[in-house]
Amino acid sequence: MAAVINSLQIKNALQNKTPLLRKASKTFLIAAMVLMALSAVALFFYTQGLLKNEIEEELYSNKERVEKLLIEDQSIKGIPPIITVEQVEKPEGLTLKDTLIYDPLQDEIELFRELSETREIADQHYRITVRAMVIESEDILFAIIFTFISIIFFAFIFLFYFIKSRNEKLWQPFFINLDRLKNFSVKSDKLLTFEDSEILEFHELNREMETLTAKIQNDYRNLKQFTEDVSHEMQTPLAIMQARIDTVMNDEFITERQFEHLSKLQSDILRLKQLNKKLILLAKIENNQFNDNEPVSINEIISQVVTNFQELTPIEFIVKVKGEVEAQMDRSLAIILCNNLLSNATKHNFEKRPITIHIGNNTLQVINAGTTALEKPDQVFERFYKENKKPDSTGLGLSIVKKICDCYGFIPSYLFHERKHIFQINFNK
Amino acid sequence: MKYLIAEDEQELQQSIKNYLSRDANVCETASDYWEASEKLELYEYDIVILDINLVTGSGLDLLKKLKQQKKKCGVIIISANSSLDDKLQGLDLGADDYITKPFHLAELNSRIKAVLRRGQFGGDDSITFQEIQIDTLARSAYVNNKPITLTRKEYDLLLFFITNQGRVLSKAIIAEHLWGDDSDLLDNFDFIYVHINNLRKKLTTEGAKYIQTTYGSGYKFIAD
Repeated sequence: MAAVINSLQIKNALQNKTPLLRKASKTFLIAAMVLMALSAVALFFYTQGLLKNEIEEELYSNKERVEKLLIEDQSIKGIPPIITVEQVEKPEGLTLKDTLIYDPLQDEIELFRELSETREIADQHYRITVRAMVIESEDILFAIIFTFISIIFFAFIFLFYFIKSRNEKLWQPFFINLDRLKNFSVKSDKLLTFEDSEILEFHELNREMETLTAKIQNDYRNLKQFTEDVSHEMQTPLAIMQARIDTVMNDEFITERQFEHLSKLQSDILRLKQLNKKLILLAKIENNQFNDNEPVSINEIISQVVTNFQELTPIEFIVKVKGEVEAQMDRSLAIILCNNLLSNATKHNFEKRPITIHIGNNTLQVINAGTTALEKPDQVFERFYKENKKPDSTGLGLSIVKKICDCYGFIPSYLFHERKHIFQINFNK
Repeated sequence: MKYLIAEDEQELQQSIKNYLSRDANVCETASDYWEASEKLELYEYDIVILDINLVTGSGLDLLKKLKQQKKKCGVIIISANSSLDDKLQGLDLGADDYITKPFHLAELNSRIKAVLRRGQFGGDDSITFQEIQIDTLARSAYVNNKPITLTRKEYDLLLFFITNQGRVLSKAIIAEHLWGDDSDLLDNFDFIYVHINNLRKKLTTEGAKYIQTTYGSGYKFIAD
């Protein structure tokens, strides 16, 4: 039996879901961003290190050159601030550091990398300092990073749209088939066929789905057939019994007691017939075989059903209309729903008191008098649940009500209040 | 009237034959598709009672044949299948009525009479029983040519009684005839008392005392 899944639940579940293509694009974008950031940072540090080494190498070789010149000619003063040569008292170690120096040419304080060491030439200590402007290498660094980021950015943009359009094409058969699956009905005699794909997995999926849906349709047909068969097999012997009783009643001489027995048998056959009919009805509702949905006025149905009941029972029905209630459902099921609610109220009514029906605010309430609350109110809509073990009741009336409600997403409820049984149907979806 | 009962269940077939023969009708029977088909080709009937699930074929196919041959007979389908589709299919093919198993013989009888009354098959719009007259077109009843006012249920009840005159009718039969599927809305059939008593009163006032109580709880419509 197909489980009835609440459409509301589906709707809620769908809200949290992301479409496949958007998800793929999102993943790509995030990966691209992370990759871009990481590679930019890595490139930055690598290039920075490279440039620093380059500067230092240059500083060392410049120092060597100055030393050589100084050995030949001690009068060199250098080219401040790039090269300076000073006489000092004591020898000093090799230092390599950053320093800020005012550059009169540019009228700015600039950052320089500075290498200084003392040398002993002709018994004199000379401090040789060579400097290189850092700013230039920084400019190069930023130029490289910027170029890199822009190239990679445009590459990603291109890739993004390229992959997106590729994905759309790639998943096309999947989406077509998904749509077909959505429109699939087990009731249909037509087999579901899928758009074939050159992709192996899609092809396999299609094949599996085709087998599966064909099996479901077959099972459904078998189930329907089974229900019909059971009904047929049961009805025919019942018909024979019924006809026999009718014949005996009319053809033979029978006593009053015998007639009483035969009458009772007739009623029992009727009960079996009704039980059979209700079980088939339940199966049909479960199989969603009622498809003639239309806007049905509950007010109209109730007034029709009440008129009918008035012919059956002296119990008074008080209909209180607070507003128009309309439900989108099968008309015959609406009648069955109201009939069963009123039938239940009439059967379990206390002392033939009036039965009240409230219609309005999208709800229907059927209220009958009672003495005590039900022992198991949560089971009142269950199949074959009988509170007071009434022998004549089939125990299916309210379960049919529940089944109809489930089918359309209506909410049935039961309440015992001030010695009254209140059955309520909420038609709000 | 001449009836053909095409039903493969012997028991049921004989019971129907038995019940219908009492009104001096000629009833023939067919136990399978071929027998029914042969008889329908050879003889003329006023009413054919046709089971859909005959052992050797479908009653619906027989119905199609009948309609192709343009035979002038009423067809009542009996079926164990209460599904609306089957019912509609049967009626679309030209059946005059459709009755679901299990049914009461009195109910079948009243359906046959209704089909006959529609005129095409040699019936009559008006029914007369002693001084009671019923105009089935106007759905009105007269006693000694004097109209009596009946509710819808009382009228149906009177018609049912007259159609099944002389037969014992239990409360279950009457309830099922008058209310059909709705007859199980209440636990017992006490509700039909009211309608029978009202009808009885209206008839008795005009001097027509035909509704008799038999066996304590059954009813019989009979001329004294």
